[in-house]
Amino acid sequence: MFLKVQLAWNVIIAAENLKPGSLMLQRAILIRLLSDFSAKKATKDLGYFLAVTTLDKIGEGKVRQHTGDVLFPVVFSAVTFKMFKGEVLEGTVHKVLKHGVFMRIGPIENAYLSSSKMPGYEYVLGENPYFMNQKMPKIAKDVKVRVVVIGTKWMEAEREFQALVGLEGDYLGPISPSDM
Amino acid sequence: MSGEEEENAAELKIGDEFLKAKCLMNCEVSLILEHKYEQLQQSSDDAVNQVSQVFEKSLQYVKRFSRYKNPDAVRQVREILARYQLAEFELCVLGNLCPETVEEAIAMVPSIKTRGRAQDDEAIEKMLNDLSLIKKFE
Repeated sequence: MFLKVQLAWNVIIAAENLKPGSLMLQRAILIRLLSDFSAKKATKDLGYFLAVTTLDKIGEGKVRQHTGDVLFPVVFSAVTFKMFKGEVLEGTVHKVLKHGVFMRIGPIENAYLSSSKMPGYEYVLGENPYFMNQKMPKIAKDVKVRVVVIGTKWMEAEREFQALVGLEGDYLGPISPSDM
Repeated sequence: MSGEEEENAAELKIGDEFLKAKCLMNCEVSLILEHKYEQLQQSSDDAVNQVSQVFEKSLQYVKRFSRYKNPDAVRQVREILARYQLAEFELCVLGNLCPETVEEAIAMVPSIKTRGRAQDDEAIEKMLNDLSLIKKFE
């Protein structure tokens, strides 16, 4: 799910970037905020950080004693993406392996749909391998699939989420092109 | 997560902070990100090259998975869904997946039938009809 959140961060502006003129300063704060924002990438609580939408407030700057840098408290709004267990989502298959497929869902590159979570599907070997079942269209590379989130795991070192998804439920599975 | 209950979006157990948070439909995110991207293209420095991977992947995703493209239609979808006392989360799942039948809608968002709110099938049916009308006239 995409979320709209409001965050309060501190932005540090190096002393040499403190030029006269409030517009220049605002710009320096915004640029620094945007680069901090994309460097942060994601957090366990809010998920992936997509974009800053508005800079809502810039507080009084505080000089940091030993460096002379100035720290500005800022409040801004942003869009994030977080997956919830039990949530139904759609994504695109980008890799098919014997034991399951990997899907792109939002900023998550490798949501894993295990063959054990695809009831009734069988792996079909070939140059372009796929999974098939009697009733539904096949699950192959570039096919859109509707899935339910079974679980997610935050990996602190990579600042990434791992996600497990499945097809166990009604109205889940590949989406035929005419549905979109 | 607050409390001992395990997260389960199907029962709308997503933590109080998210229950109150504003959610966005894919089509809304698509409008926001495309607008951002245009702004970056117009700014003097090579800001476009600094777009994060998270931004880029998400933009590709919402372009591919938005059922509504026209900004007026996107606004109407939210207006219509807002009439049905849905939680933000439920509203956005319905707007994203556009279920065709009442049965499908309940399968996608089981919580609309629980929590003692009892959306009746007729109300859900009407909501889905209104949504498909927007799609038709977009």
